[in-house]
Amino acid sequence: MKRIIIDREKCDGCLNCNIACISAHEEGSNFYTVNLQSPDAETRNFIKFDAGKGYLPIFCRHCDEPECVLSCMSGALEKDPVSGHVQYDENKCAACYMCVMNCPFGVLKPDKKTRTKVIKCDFCDDKPDGPSCVKACPKQAIVVKEVNL
Amino acid sequence: MKIVIIGASAAGISAAKTINVSEPETEVVIISREDSVHSRCMLHKFLGHQRDAKGISFIADDFFETAGITWLNNTTVISLDPDKKTVTTHDNQTISYDKLLIATGAGYFIPPIPGLRESKNVYGFRDLIDAKLLDRECQTAKNAVVIGAGLVGMDAAVALLERGLNVTVIEMTKDVMSLQLDHQAAAAYQKLFKEAGAEFILEDKVVSVDVNDVGRGTTIHLASGKAVPADVIVIAAGVRPAFNFTQGSGIKTNQAILVGDDLKTNIDDIYAAGDVTGIAGIWPNAMKQGRIAAINMLGEKLLYEDRYALKNTVNFYGLTTLSLGNINPEPEENCEIFIREDRHNYQKVVLKNGIVQGVIMQGDIGGTGFWQYLIKNKIDVSDKNKDVFGLSFADFYDLDQQTGEYKYAV
Ligand SMILES: Cc1cc2nc3c(=O)[nH]c(=O)nc-3n(C[C@H](O)[C@H](O)[C@H](O)COP(=O)(O)OP(=O)(O)OC[C@H]3O[C@@H](n4cnc5c(N)ncnc54)[C@H](O)[C@@H]3O)c2cc1C
Ligand code: SF4
Ligand code: SF4
Repeated sequence: MKRIIIDREKCDGCLNCNIACISAHEEGSNFYTVNLQSPDAETRNFIKFDAGKGYLPIFCRHCDEPECVLSCMSGALEKDPVSGHVQYDENKCAACYMCVMNCPFGVLKPDKKTRTKVIKCDFCDDKPDGPSCVKACPKQAIVVKEVNL
Repeated sequence: MKIVIIGASAAGISAAKTINVSEPETEVVIISREDSVHSRCMLHKFLGHQRDAKGISFIADDFFETAGITWLNNTTVISLDPDKKTVTTHDNQTISYDKLLIATGAGYFIPPIPGLRESKNVYGFRDLIDAKLLDRECQTAKNAVVIGAGLVGMDAAVALLERGLNVTVIEMTKDVMSLQLDHQAAAAYQKLFKEAGAEFILEDKVVSVDVNDVGRGTTIHLASGKAVPADVIVIAAGVRPAFNFTQGSGIKTNQAILVGDDLKTNIDDIYAAGDVTGIAGIWPNAMKQGRIAAINMLGEKLLYEDRYALKNTVNFYGLTTLSLGNINPEPEENCEIFIREDRHNYQKVVLKNGIVQGVIMQGDIGGTGFWQYLIKNKIDVSDKNKDVFGLSFADFYDLDQQTGEYKYAV
């Protein structure tokens, strides 16, 4: 399956990946027009800073054994048997947030505005040219690679 | 090989899925008392008329056909014979198995209070049929009483309020959801429920129920002397693992079916998973147990190590809370308690010797998944030399270079 592989030493914390993610999930916007103040502006990836280690990209791993899927009580989260990606169906979700509790890396969050859905990396719906964050990274700190399961 | 699974819910379905993916040629028969597969965690959405029965299913419509699984619904198992390796159903079918998984969950319990068990308008809130019967009552009832303010009671209350009934919640302890919350976090929910029209009677106990001449409970009497009128009564005072049918089979039980870490019972080829094992009463754990039991039934050896059960999330009226571990420590436990709050958040972390014992995050719960890992694995956070509220996975950040998956550096 394809996974976003992280080389944390290359990350310099520019947050282009955050902006690209917000824009990709905001209807009709692009990198320059995206409204970062909108209550819908939510990033699915995070860059943390650690004084010792520097910038630490935290991106959904679309895990081999995804704890979030195993905790979902509505069938909203499923691991796609073909792509291997963990996809989320907002219409099925009951906003119980067991998945938020169970993602060991703290990737998942409720939506800020309504607390009725989950904000989760969708691998940009497996678009042929790949996830928006990867395209936006000027340092190749995140790249898509095929990994064997 | 033929695997029979009793129960078509979190544990049973997760087991069936696992078998279907790993060894599709295995014959699987699922038996369930109910005629639908649904998520109990969404019953309040059904009763509140936000979703229909199909909307609270957690599997695809054609799940059984596509997977080639036989589903005997509306079928109750009444006994099992480990020597002959068969189970018997209420309609006298005898079904043989090579391996058996008991995933029968739990059932609600009506305390032996005079008048309560006898009343025809007393309902549990566990199965879809309970919600359907309550739905019918809601068409005429005005006053609903919910006995028990745990998560299930509050789920029922939310739905009954949604349906426009007058709802009174009666609870023995001094706070709602007292297993998951502390006083302050509970008060925030109580306020929201009150704004939605609910009334609460806390630190009080039902002592009797008046039953009228058509067998319906009409007035609930409390230890304090208060009397509450009721057209419909929901009992949410706890559940008991459901394993009556194992009587005489030699399967060891102690208020739950006893299993080893491989989820096998004391009898070969019989496994148990989910609420019936008494390990944890929540969905994620039932799913995981179903999965691990399935893998073991297929002949591998995988251990269930996730016995950590003190965890939950709460989401009512858009107020979300994560609750983990020991959140109300006794003074003699000598824990350190850290609290941080602002207008939208109330956060509490309980530490002992650098190890996180409990967490309440109320308000913004985004990205809080790492806390469970820290508590479950008793990870010492004192060497991080930082404000506990600033902790995140970044403090334990490590990557597997081969697979690109994260690991905890501890
Ligand atoms: C109202 C409510 C809200 C909840 N909310 C949440 C939540 O938000 N998050 C969470 O994590 N958990 C929640 N839970 C708990 C969660 O629903 C359970 O942990 C989970 O359903 C357990 O799954 P299970 O497969 O072990 O058993 P169950 O879901 O209890 O299913 C048991 C199955 O066995 C069948 N069965 C039982 N006896 C027999 C028999 N003799 N013969 C044949 N079939 C039989 C039943 O028909 C059913 O298919 C909630 C529970 C309730 C009641
Ligand atoms: S949300 Fe968390 S658990 Fe789920 S696939 Fe992504 S990283 Fe894994
Ligand atoms: S919040 Fe939605 S996606 Fe997450 S576990 Fe609950 S139902 Fe599944």
